[in-house]
Amino acid sequence: MSAGAARRCLLALLAAAPAAAAAGTEDRYPEFADEHLTAGRVIWVENCMTCHGYGIAGAPDPNKAKAWAYRLEKPRETLYDHALNGFFGPDGTMMPARGGNEDLSDAEVKLAVDYMAAVAQRANDLADEQAQSEAETDAVAESRLDPRP
Amino acid sequence: MKTLHKLSLTAAVAAVAAGTFAVADMPEEAAEPSITPRAMADALHLVMDSDRTVYTRKIVNRLAAKDKVITASEHYDDEKALVLPAQMFRYGSEMVAERAEEKPDVNFSYSLQSLWPVNKQNAPRTDAEKEGLQYVADHKGENYYTVETLGDIKYFTAVYPDVAVAPVCVSCHNEHKDSPKRDFEIGDVMGGVVIRIPMEG
Repeated sequence: MSAGAARRCLLALLAAAPAAAAAGTEDRYPEFADEHLTAGRVIWVENCMTCHGYGIAGAPDPNKAKAWAYRLEKPRETLYDHALNGFFGPDGTMMPARGGNEDLSDAEVKLAVDYMAAVAQRANDLADEQAQSEAETDAVAESRLDPRP
Repeated sequence: MKTLHKLSLTAAVAAVAAGTFAVADMPEEAAEPSITPRAMADALHLVMDSDRTVYTRKIVNRLAAKDKVITASEHYDDEKALVLPAQMFRYGSEMVAERAEEKPDVNFSYSLQSLWPVNKQNAPRTDAEKEGLQYVADHKGENYYTVETLGDIKYFTAVYPDVAVAPVCVSCHNEHKDSPKRDFEIGDVMGGVVIRIPMEG
C-alpha cells in the first residue's frame, strides 16, 4: 500500500468514527511518532487544553479545521510570538502570554505550539480529504444520472 | 432526564430581548406554550454570556489590557476604573431581580455563585445549587440541569460553568484576602451561573 493510500485509509477510519474521535483526550489530541511532538503534547495537555480544548474565551480548538486554516498559513514564528508574548485578536479576544503560566520556558511554549499546529494540520488534512471524497462521490452520482453514452 | 412541561414564556423571552412588553397587538399564539424550561434557561444564558463576553473583549480587553488607557478593578469607584466583567454580570442580575418584581409574567432569577466565593453571599444555598456547582467543576464543559422544590413551588434550575478566562481572574481570586481557594489556574471552573425558572403558573 502506498503512503498516500495508507493515509487515506487512516483518514477514512477517522471519518468513520466521529463518536470515538469526540470521546477522549487520546482521540482528539493524538500522540504523534515524532518525539518533539510527544513532548509538546505533554505540555499542551497540561497547560493549553484547559482553554483550547473547550473553546474558552475564544481560544481556537485545533480540531476545528476552519478555525485553524488561516492560522496555519501564518509563519510559525508568528504563532510562537503570540504564544510567548500574548496576543489580542481582532475580536478583542486575548491570548495570555505563555498561556498564563509564567513558569513555562520559551522552548516549552514552542513545543506546545508545534503540537497544537500538528493537531490542527491533521484536522485540516481530514477536512480536505472529506471534501475531496464528497466531490468524487457527487461526480460519480452525476455521471450515473447522465443519459449520454 | 424526563421531559419537562413547556412553559408559557414566549412573552418573557420577547420582554427580555426587547426590554419591554408590547401587548396591544399581541397575537393569541404568543401566549401559548412554546419553549421548554431548559431551552429558556439556555437562551437566557446565551444572552448573558454573550453580553459579558462582548464587555470583556470590546471594553476591558481593548481599553485595559491592550491599549492600557484605563484599568479594570474590583474597587472601580475609588480607582476610577472599569468594573470587572463579573461585577457587571452581578449588577445585571440584581437589576433584573428588581425590575422583574414589577413584571408578573417575567418570573425567573439568575446569579453568579461559587463553592469558593470571595463574598460569602455568593455561596450556594440550596442542595441543587451545591450539587450543580460541584458537577460543573468536576465535568469541564458540561452544564447541570435539575428540578427542585422550594417552598411549595417547583423550579427548573440550571447551572452553567464560570471559567477563569484571563490572568486577572486567577490573580484576583488567588490573592484576595477573603478567598477560600488560592490555587486557581487559567481555564479552571471558578463557579457557575445559576438560572432558576418556576415550572408552575
